Amino acid sequence: MHDVWVAGAAMTRIGRRSEPLTDLMAEAAHAALRGAGLEGPDAIVVATMNPEEFLGDGNFASHVATHLGFAGVPALRVETATSSGAAAFYAGFALVAAGLRRAVLVVGGEKMTHLPTPKVSELIGRSIDPYERRYGATMPALAGLVTRALLARHAVTPREMAQVAVKNHAHGAKNPLAHFRQPLTVDEVLESRMVADPLRLLHCCPISDGAAAVVLAADRARVRVAGIGQGTDTLAVRHRRELTSFPATQDAARAAYAMAGFGPERVEVAELHDAFAPFELIALEDTGLVPPGKAGRATLDGETALGGRLPVNPSGGLKARGHPLAATGLAQLVECVWQLTGEAAGRQVGARVALAHSIGGLATSNWVTLLEAA
Amino acid sequence: MIQAIAASRCPTCALTVAPPAHFCPRHPVEMAPAAVAGVGEIVSFTTLHSPPEGFRAPLHIALVELEGGARFVCHGAETRGLRVGARVAIEAVDDVYYFAHLGALDRARLFWRRAGHAGDRVNAIARSLAQRVWKGSSGAER
Ligand SMILES: [Zn+2]
Repeated sequence: MHDVWVAGAAMTRIGRRSEPLTDLMAEAAHAALRGAGLEGPDAIVVATMNPEEFLGDGNFASHVATHLGFAGVPALRVETATSSGAAAFYAGFALVAAGLRRAVLVVGGEKMTHLPTPKVSELIGRSIDPYERRYGATMPALAGLVTRALLARHAVTPREMAQVAVKNHAHGAKNPLAHFRQPLTVDEVLESRMVADPLRLLHCCPISDGAAAVVLAADRARVRVAGIGQGTDTLAVRHRRELTSFPATQDAARAAYAMAGFGPERVEVAELHDAFAPFELIALEDTGLVPPGKAGRATLDGETALGGRLPVNPSGGLKARGHPLAATGLAQLVECVWQLTGEAAGRQVGARVALAHSIGGLATSNWVTLLEAA
Repeated sequence: MIQAIAASRCPTCALTVAPPAHFCPRHPVEMAPAAVAGVGEIVSFTTLHSPPEGFRAPLHIALVELEGGARFVCHGAETRGLRVGARVAIEAVDDVYYFAHLGALDRARLFWRRAGHAGDRVNAIARSLAQRVWKGSSGAER
């Protein structure tokens, strides 16, 4: 297997955007290529979760390649629901690692804010098992089930969950590309509207537009892909034995650490999939970054805040940076690259190893990626 | 009164799922038909305050571990006082499944049995509870 390097990384501002998705993806893609010093890639991997429904556009790899000005370049699309960006990164990684390509552009994005919120929820919810959907299950509903089970086991407290959102908003305030840049208090979270009891509105990430891109190359650059792993689980939540941790994350982490040849002890900064605040606490333990049962305490103690032992979601995470679905897995990796290369102005951690964790569906297709500064 | 619920069991790993599935989610083998009791324990539950189209707010959804092993997703008319681990009975109304606190249902049955009206009345109660949750009469087959 050849070494794979991240030669360029870029993303758009995340939020409510009026531009077409293809323009957002072009902005990120062209900037990543400029960063890599390349005129063009020799292959393109596109990540979008559902442009057919959000935009009415299909054949999206060709659509994007043509729009970018790379109509002659081989292009394919990768989809694993909300973790599509991380999956596309893996596909690009595999092409270079196998020696099939020398410079692959991986670009992901989603445009959602032009649709009403119930429609967006319904479209995202199509990644849920059809039988459970017939009972009204949405992503917040399933996350509500997970959260209730966590609270019942005393695995987390309401204050610890709220602190995740508060911390990530504080981080987002330092990120000029974040969707939300205003701080939040614990009381505001605890008093926000109930969405899927016991989950409240301010435990949940927003609906956002945006795009992110990286160039993966065979030639040495400043950041190396040290390890990457996928873990999967049953589509139906009722087919699982475990509700308060995600085996798909644990399997992905094991695979990534095995490929990297090191464990969680070397990780100095992480981007975790906090679509719902308690998911960050679950991910902290599933990835081995904190010992079982300690994620809530570590969060309250500031260990995972900027300036703490292990800053988590310095970008603001899904909660504050925003969650444009297929852009998110790549946006996390872009933040990790910037943290490793000293380009995260205002929120710089100073790390040599970064971890990104992305959840697809209700933890049916999860990814853990480890990046290392050269 | 408490119905048997159609399920399927994996001949390889004994995983039981309800409703039945063709193949085991973890093994590429055909599952064998099975039935599990319509009683179990609440694994978790939630209430949606802005439910998807076609459902009335508030919408109660529960994950129940049935006796016999299968986990089951169903509605409920009420979650006040409900706890994880609580014993519940599953009732079907127009092919839509609901949980009810076992104690309360049992009490209702005993009462109506003494009054000389057995199943009909309990079903009528369940149906009226259901209508508070469900807009149409056959909404589950949307
Ligand atoms: Zn099996």
